[in-house]
Amino acid sequence: MPDHRKRNTFTSYVAPQPGDIRATADTNEWCLPSDLRDVHLAKPRLLSGEQIVASAPAYMYSPIAPMENPISSTASHTTHSNGNGSGGSSSSSSRSSHKEASFGLLSVTNFKLAFVPLAARATLASAAASPSDLYQENTFLGRNEVTLNNIDQIYTIAEQGRAASALQAARMASSNSGSGSGRRKKLEPAKQQHINGRIVALHVICKNFRLLKFAFQQQDSKLSDYGKLIASALARFAYPMRHDLSFAYVYREPYYATLLPGGVSMFASKNDWARELIRCGATEWQVVSASAVPQLQNRLQACKYTLPPHFVIPKGCEVERFLQLSLAFCDSRAAFWVYSYGSSAASLVRLAELHPASQQDNKLENIMLELVRKCDERRQLKLLQLTDQLPSIQDVQRAYQKLRRLCTPETPEKFMLQDDKYLGLLEKTNWLLYVSLCLRHASEAAATLRASVTCVLQESNGRDLCCVISSLTQLLLDPHFRSIDGFQSLVQKEWIALEHPFQRRLGHVCVASGEQAPDSEQSPVFLLFLDCVWQLLQQFPDEFEFSQTYLTTLWDACFMPIFDTFQFDSQAQRAAAVNEGRLVLRPVWDWGEQFSDKDKLFFSNPLYQRQRGDLSAAQQHHRRSLAVNNRLQLPSATGGAAGAAGASPSRYTINPQLFSTQSSVPQDRYLQPAHRILDLAVWEQCYYRWLPVLDIRGGGQPQVDLFHRLLLSNIAKLQRSIDLQNFDELPDAYYDAQGEKRQREQRAEEEQPVEYVDGVERRRKSMPSTTASASANGLQQVVNGGNSTLQLSTLSSFFPFGNPIAGDAPHELYDILSSSSELLLDTSSMLDKSSIV
Amino acid sequence: MDATSSLAEKMASKTASSNSLDSSSKSSSLGSKHGAENGVLRDTPFAYLEGEEDQDQKNDVTYVCPYRGPVFGALTITNYRLYFRSLPLRDQEPPLVVDVPLGVIARVEKIGGATSRGENSYGIEIFCKDMRNLRFAHKQQNHSRRTVFEKLQANAFPLSYSGKLFAFAHAAAAQPAANANAAAVSAGCDGWAVYEPLAELRRLGVPNDMWRATKLNESYGICDSYPAVWAVPKAASDDFLRRVAQFRSRCRLPVLSWMNPRTQATITRCSQPLVGVSGKRNADDETYLSYIMEANAQSDKLTIMDARPSANAIANKAKGGGYESEDAYKNVEINFLDIHNIHVMRESLRKVKEACYPTTDDSKWQTAIDSTLWLKHIRCILAGAVRIVDKVETMSTSVVVHCSDGWDRTAQLTALSMLLLDPYYRTVRGFEVLIEKEWLSFGHKFQQRIGHGDNKHSDADRSPVFLQFIDSVWQVSHQFSNAFEFNEHFLITIVDHLYSCRFGTFLCNTEAERVADDLKHKTTSLWTHINSSLDQYLNPLFPSFTHGAEPVLRPIASVRAVRLWKGLYCRWNPGLCAPQHGCQRTRELLSKQDQLFKHVNELRLKLNNRSNNMQTTTRLASPMH
Repeated sequence: MPDHRKRNTFTSYVAPQPGDIRATADTNEWCLPSDLRDVHLAKPRLLSGEQIVASAPAYMYSPIAPMENPISSTASHTTHSNGNGSGGSSSSSSRSSHKEASFGLLSVTNFKLAFVPLAARATLASAAASPSDLYQENTFLGRNEVTLNNIDQIYTIAEQGRAASALQAARMASSNSGSGSGRRKKLEPAKQQHINGRIVALHVICKNFRLLKFAFQQQDSKLSDYGKLIASALARFAYPMRHDLSFAYVYREPYYATLLPGGVSMFASKNDWARELIRCGATEWQVVSASAVPQLQNRLQACKYTLPPHFVIPKGCEVERFLQLSLAFCDSRAAFWVYSYGSSAASLVRLAELHPASQQDNKLENIMLELVRKCDERRQLKLLQLTDQLPSIQDVQRAYQKLRRLCTPETPEKFMLQDDKYLGLLEKTNWLLYVSLCLRHASEAAATLRASVTCVLQESNGRDLCCVISSLTQLLLDPHFRSIDGFQSLVQKEWIALEHPFQRRLGHVCVASGEQAPDSEQSPVFLLFLDCVWQLLQQFPDEFEFSQTYLTTLWDACFMPIFDTFQFDSQAQRAAAVNEGRLVLRPVWDWGEQFSDKDKLFFSNPLYQRQRGDLSAAQQHHRRSLAVNNRLQLPSATGGAAGAAGASPSRYTINPQLFSTQSSVPQDRYLQPAHRILDLAVWEQCYYRWLPVLDIRGGGQPQVDLFHRLLLSNIAKLQRSIDLQNFDELPDAYYDAQGEKRQREQRAEEEQPVEYVDGVERRRKSMPSTTASASANGLQQVVNGGNSTLQLSTLSSFFPFGNPIAGDAPHELYDILSSSSELLLDTSSMLDKSSIV
Repeated sequence: MDATSSLAEKMASKTASSNSLDSSSKSSSLGSKHGAENGVLRDTPFAYLEGEEDQDQKNDVTYVCPYRGPVFGALTITNYRLYFRSLPLRDQEPPLVVDVPLGVIARVEKIGGATSRGENSYGIEIFCKDMRNLRFAHKQQNHSRRTVFEKLQANAFPLSYSGKLFAFAHAAAAQPAANANAAAVSAGCDGWAVYEPLAELRRLGVPNDMWRATKLNESYGICDSYPAVWAVPKAASDDFLRRVAQFRSRCRLPVLSWMNPRTQATITRCSQPLVGVSGKRNADDETYLSYIMEANAQSDKLTIMDARPSANAIANKAKGGGYESEDAYKNVEINFLDIHNIHVMRESLRKVKEACYPTTDDSKWQTAIDSTLWLKHIRCILAGAVRIVDKVETMSTSVVVHCSDGWDRTAQLTALSMLLLDPYYRTVRGFEVLIEKEWLSFGHKFQQRIGHGDNKHSDADRSPVFLQFIDSVWQVSHQFSNAFEFNEHFLITIVDHLYSCRFGTFLCNTEAERVADDLKHKTTSLWTHINSSLDQYLNPLFPSFTHGAEPVLRPIASVRAVRLWKGLYCRWNPGLCAPQHGCQRTRELLSKQDQLFKHVNELRLKLNNRSNNMQTTTRLASPMH
C-alpha cells in the first residue's frame, strides 16, 4: 500500500486519540533537539511580491485538542480503517498517526499566516505525482494557511510559572483558557501593547469561523521569544490602517480574463443596466451615468455626492432635479431602481433615509416617493422601512460574534459545555432570528411585487440590509438569479455596483479610533445574506444551480485581497486604487483563478433543474429575445451618447422604450420560503467545517449529492452509448440492474486493460458478488466491505472541506464528477433533449 | 403555457392544503391508501377495516380545532377508530377530517357540566399517545355526549371493560377471506415468519466453536421474560446457566445479541447482577463472564456497559441489585452510560408535547426544546451506542450491556449499536428482525410501557422507551441519509401502529405471553401489512449505499447534530410541518436511468441478434466453398 505512508504523514486537523503519547514520541518531534533541525526546510510557498515578515518554529494544534469525551472517537477511527482491509483492526489502531499537534514552521508574510508542517515536506514532493485528493484546494492558499485579511482576533497566552515544556504549557494554556485568568489576552492591534512574559501559545480566530492554535517551543536562551515575534508581526500586518497597505497592491500579476462575455453581468456599464431594464420590462425608468452628468464632473460639485457610476431613476425626473433631491438623503441615496416584476412591471426600489438634519421635514422624501409612484402602472407603492424592522449592523455583528464563539470552542471541555445548553446558546446569538427576519421581509417584498405594487426598501444609508432584502427578493421571484451566472450578476448589481461598503463591513482596514469602538463599522452583512440563501437552498434544493459549497467558498473569497470584488466600499474607491495604486482588478467570479476544474465542479448542484416542464420553451424564447435586444441596443446606445448636444436627458440616458419590451421574467417560478426560526437550520458546512468532531464520516449532504452525481453520470454514459451505438462502456449500475454476470466476466477477460483504465469499472470487478446479494445478506458486506477499493461513502460531511480521505476513491469520484457535469453544466443538456423533467 | 404554472400551483396548493388536518394523512400512515384497499367499502366517508363495526354516530358535533377554530360536522365511532368529518360551509374548502385509531387514546375526559355557559364549552376532551389532544363540543340539549363518552371508554380501553383489543377482531374477520392471507404468506410477506431465531443466529455464524444455540428456555421455565432460544458460550453447560440466572435480576442472564463474524467480538445483554449492599459475589457469574470474554480471541478484556448513571447503579444496591465490581470480575472494565430511567423520559416527552402542541412560540422555540432535555437524552443513547460500536468494531472487545432489568435501556443500546454495526439491520427486513429480536423476544414490556387498551393513563410504568429508540434510528438515518433501505414514513408507520392495536406485533409484554395468547394465529403482524406494500417505505437514496460502503456507521452524538424530529412530534401542527420536498428529483432520475437501461438492453439484443445472424450466415456460407 504505497499510499499508506502518505496517510501517516498527514498531520493536520484530525483529532488525536486521548493521550496518544506513543504516536508523538516515535516521530521525534516533541523531543526535538534545540537546534530545531530541518525547520528551515519548511518554507511556505510565496506568491510574487509576497515576503516573509517573521517566521518561527511552532506547533499547530488540531482545533479541538485531546479528546476525552465519547463522541470524539467518531472522527479519529474511520480514516485508518479504510485501507487496511482484512488486516484486523488491532493493527490499524497502532498505526494511527493522529497527533495532538504537528511541528513545523509558522510564518507571517505580507499576505498570509502560513504553517508548513515539517512532516509534510515528503508529501509536498510526492503530491505532484500522486493524484491530488478531491478536497478543495486554493491556488493561493495551502491547507494550513489563512490570509491576513481573514484574521479577526488574536489571543496571546503568556507563560505563567515554570512549565516544563512547551507542550505542557500549551496544554495548560489551552485547557484553562476559558477560566478568565489574565493569561489569555486579546491582542489589540491599535494600541501598542506591552506583552508581559513569554508567549507560549497563540489563538487566531478567523472571520470564516476557523480557529488556529499554535504553541511555541521554549528556548534556553532568553533571546528569542518566538511567540512574541509572531504576535507582534501579526499585530503589525494583520490590521492595516490603510487599504493601500493590503497585499492587493503588491500582487501585480497581470490578469487575463477567462470569463465568458454574456455570463456574469458586472453592472459596470450603462448597457448592463439598460439590459436589465429591458429584461424586466421596466419602461418608466432611465439609466444615468455619472460620467455623463456635467454636475458630477465638476469637482467642486461632485464632492457633495457619493453616487455610484451608474444608477437608474424615474424617467419622469430630470437628472438635475434628482441630484438636488438626493442631497437630502444619506449617502445621496435617493430612490434607485433595481428590479421590476410582472406584466405591470412593479418595481423594487432602494432608498436611503433623510439626513438626520433634514428629518423634521418629510417633504423631500414625499416628493421622491411621488416620483417613484408615478413609475408604477397603477400608481401604487408600498414603503418597507427596514431600519425599524431589521437588526442594525451592530446587532448583526454581535450575533455573528456569539455564533462564532459557539463554533470555535478552544477545548473539548468547552465544546461539551456548550453542547449541554446548545440550543439555548444558539437562541441567544439571535443569528437565526435575524436570518428569519430577513427572509420574512424579503417574502413580504416579493409578495408586494407579485401583487403588482411597487415596493420601496428604505434603510438609513440604503447600502446594508437593503442589499440583503433586495437581493433576496429577487432570488425569490426570478429563476435567472438562481443560476450561477445570474447569482453572480445579482451580487454585482446589488452589492458591488450599488456599493455595499465591503471594506468597512469586513474589516479589511482597521480603523484607528480612540474612544469609539474600533469595530463599530464591521459587520458581516454579506454572510447574513449568504446564510439566507443557504436556507432557501435547503428548502428548495432543486431550484438553485449552485451548491452550498459555492456559498461557503464565496464567504471565504471575501478575504482574498487578490480579488477586488469584495475589497472596496465604493466604485470611486476602486477606481482610485486602480489609478493611484496601480491595483490590478481581478473579479472573484473568475473562479478558475483560484480553483482547479474539479473544485469548480463542486459549485454546481446536482439536484438543479434548469428547466421545468414546458418552461423550457418559454426560456428559450426568453434567451432569443434577449439576444435580439442586445443587438438592437448597442447602436442606439452609442447613437444616444454621440447624439444631439441639447440639454435633454436622453443625452446621457438610455430610453428603454426605444425597444418594444415586455418583462421576460417567468412569473410562475417564485418561491415562498418558510421563515420561522423553527424552519431554519444552522449552516453546518460553513460554520462547523473546522471542527472534526462534528464531521459525519460517510454521511450528510455530500453523500446525497454524490449519489445524484452518480445517477447523472450513469444517465450521461447511457445516453452516449445509445447515441454512438457502442455498448462497451456502460455504467456498472446497468450490469447490477440486469443481473448480467456472464457478460461482465466475459468482458473482464476480453478487455482487461479497460478494467484498469476506468476507475469505476475496476470497482465492479473487485466486488463481483456483493451487489447482487447486498440487501439479502448484509453480513457479506461486513466481510467484504473492507476489501473494496471504492470508498464512496467515506466522504466528510463537510466535503469538499474537512479532512480528506486517502485511497483510490478520488479516481472514481473524478470519473463520476466529470461525466455528471456534462449534464449539469451544459446548457443544451441531454436532460432537456430527452425530455426528463 | 398551461402546464408551466405547475410549480406555482403546486406551491399554492401545498400551502393551502397544509392548513387542514386532513393533509396530515401524508405524515400519518393510518389513513393510508393501503388500508382503503383492504377495507370493505361501504357508503361511508372512510373505508372500514375487516372486523370494524360502527358503535356510534352523531351528526351535530363540533370539533374544536386549535388551528381553524370550531368546525361543525359528523362524528363516527367504531370499534377501531374515531372519525370526524366537517360539513363544508363553502364549496371550495376541503372538509376537515380527524381519523384517530382508538388505541392512540390515552384518556377521555368530559368537559363542562350542566351549568357551563358559552359556546363549545360542553363536550369531551381526548388526550392521545401520539402527541395531540382533541376537543369535541356537544350540544347539551341533544344528550349526545353520554353515549359518545361511554362508547369511547368501552372501545378505547377494552381491557378495562373486559373486552378484547381490536387486533383480534380484525384478524378474525380477515380469516374467512383467507385467500388474501394465504397470498401474503406465499409471497413471503407473512410478518410472523420474518424472524426465525435459529436462522438469524446462523446468519451471525452461530453455532460455531465458541457459541451454541440452546432451547433450554423453551417452556420459559428459567426466565419468563426471555425468548425460547438463546445463544450462549459453548463452555457453559445447561446446569451452569441455571445457576448463573439466579444471580441476575429476574433471571435475565447474559445472552448473545450480536456477533461480528470477522472478529468474533460480541454484544451480550442481561440485567443487573444481584450484588446488593453487602457486595455479594457469585463465582458462576464471574466464570460465565470470563467465558464470554474467552469466546473472543481478539481481546483479553471484557467491557460492561451499564446504561445507567453511576449514581443510579449504586442506589440500586439498596434494592438488591447493583453492578459488577472490577475487583470481583477479572479483566472486566465497567462504564456507565448515563442514560436516565423511564420516568425521566416520560416527563421529557411530556414537555416536548407542550412545546409542539397545539401552539408554539417561535421566538422561544429553541429554549423550549432545549428545556425538554429530550435531545440530550437522545444524544446520550446515541453516544452510548457509538461507544459500544467503538469497543466491538475498533477494539474488537466483547461488550456486555445491562441496565437494571435489561429490557428498556439495554434494548435501546443493543438494538441501536447492532443497527450501526450491521448493514443488514438497516434494510426493511433486517429492521423488522431487529425489533422482533431485541425488543419483542427479549421482553421489552410493550403492554406496560404503552398501556394498550387500559385506562390507567397515569400508570408509572408507561414510558416512551421504544419511541426513543425509533427517534434515535431517525437521527442516524438523518445523518446517513443513504444508509437505510427504509424511509421516514416507515418509522412513522411503526410508531403509529405501536399504539393503534390493529396488529398483534406490539401486544403483550413477553414472548411467553404472546405464545400463550397465540397471537401468531389470532392476530395479523404489522410486518405483513408493511411488507405487502413495500414501495412506499423505501428510501430511493439507498441503492448508493450498497456499493462498497463503509458498513459501520458512527453518528455524531452532539446536540449540535441531533435535532427534533418535527415530522413525528409536530405533524399535527400544520404550521410546523415544513413543506417536504422529499426525493422527487431522485425518483425522476432513477426512473430515467431505468428507462435507459431498458433502451440499452433492447439495442444490445438487436445488435447481438444481428451479429449472430451474420455469424450464422457466414457459417452457413462456408461449407459451400
